[in-house]
Amino acid sequence: MPLFFLQTLAILQKDLKTEWRTRERLSAMAFFALLVVIIFNFIYEPGSPIIKTVAPGIFWIATAFAGLLGLSRSYAIETQNDCLMGLRLTPADPGAIFLGKMLGNTLTMLILEALILPILVIFLNLQIAEALPRLILPILLGTLGFAAIGTLFSSMSLNTRLREAFLPLLTLPIFIPALLAAIESFRAVLEGSKITDWLVLSGAFVALYIAACLLLFEYVLED
Amino acid sequence: MRQKPYIPPFVFGILALICLSIAPYLVFMYAGIEKEMGLAQKIFYYHVPSAFSMFLGSFLCFVFSIFYLWKRDKNCDLWAACSAEVSLLFGTLVLITGAIWAKPIWGAWWVWDAQLTLTLILWLILAAYHMLRTYIEDAVQSARFRAVLGIIGFLNVPFIHYATKLWRTHHPEVVRGEEISLPPDMKIAFFFCVITFFALFFALLFKRVSLAKARDELESLKAKI
Repeated sequence: MPLFFLQTLAILQKDLKTEWRTRERLSAMAFFALLVVIIFNFIYEPGSPIIKTVAPGIFWIATAFAGLLGLSRSYAIETQNDCLMGLRLTPADPGAIFLGKMLGNTLTMLILEALILPILVIFLNLQIAEALPRLILPILLGTLGFAAIGTLFSSMSLNTRLREAFLPLLTLPIFIPALLAAIESFRAVLEGSKITDWLVLSGAFVALYIAACLLLFEYVLED
Repeated sequence: MRQKPYIPPFVFGILALICLSIAPYLVFMYAGIEKEMGLAQKIFYYHVPSAFSMFLGSFLCFVFSIFYLWKRDKNCDLWAACSAEVSLLFGTLVLITGAIWAKPIWGAWWVWDAQLTLTLILWLILAAYHMLRTYIEDAVQSARFRAVLGIIGFLNVPFIHYATKLWRTHHPEVVRGEEISLPPDMKIAFFFCVITFFALFFALLFKRVSLAKARDELESLKAKI
């Protein structure tokens, strides 16, 4: 296997291991997502048919907000005990560090989404059982896009005076087109209509931004 | 060390001034009144050129950001930051004139039309860019991060464009690709306004850059004392 991927896997393994030992991040994210879903319920009349049309939006808002919470932590742990300096000193390619962290964040968010979907089914009385196979690809693409820009910006935001609080201000405007694609394709799947156009959009978003972030991460990491 | 007299802002300033005083004549007296939209259509001559200037500014910011990361020349960062700032100003103009236009034509200040939404999201990215500058103390780090955001932000434009287009479109299709479907009198007024706004854009940009350079020089002189 090329060295680049070995380095990526090492970073990914490290991130998953630290996360697995505490499970701090994931439990905070899951609880926050649960809160978002429940709070959204109070906006509408109970049992109102509008819930069905806004459910995809609620899913993605919960994912994105909880995701931001987790993303900011994923880099904040590196600031303790000079871990960041350690990362910089490793002979690993900056791109590999980025990719490893991004994949770690993607996996965490996928687990989170797997937890949010049943919550939506229970609280919004949503029927998604037969649509589930078609939902996987748009959700995966949306998550990858979010993790790519979020991972890049999380390291940037930590150097601002606002620290983690700055992350949403950078990530959300850039994520809007992919978010739109994710919500619309989720809705289209529930309605049984075509999602090809939206998939092309999210696919292109993921490809371009992963490539751009791989190249640009070097400049974010340097001191 | 006295700064040299700075010619470009002066030249473009004079040009913008002359053009800006001729433009209202062309817009209100020379160009005809549009049949369906009436007088409200006149704002088109300011709205669309402002949008062009905004995109020009974001594009310049993108190009200078790449050059900054490549050459590490402080001037590139200065130009990128100033382009983004002037672009933000024109973006604000686009949003305000768009809302004024939308009210009589579509009956609401904001209708989430595809092109206006694109402008709004780009405006948000430019605002984030501006905030990034104020929230980081280390000047070199700030320049590097802004360059990254300038590149990432501009790459987003085609995605926003495609996404909002898929999402919805209300905009009058005046500019369709290459061919422009305007009567000749309106076309002349429109192109004149585009030149006017570009002159204004460059006048502001050069002025802003010379101001930023003067400020840098002052900082370095202060540091010497």
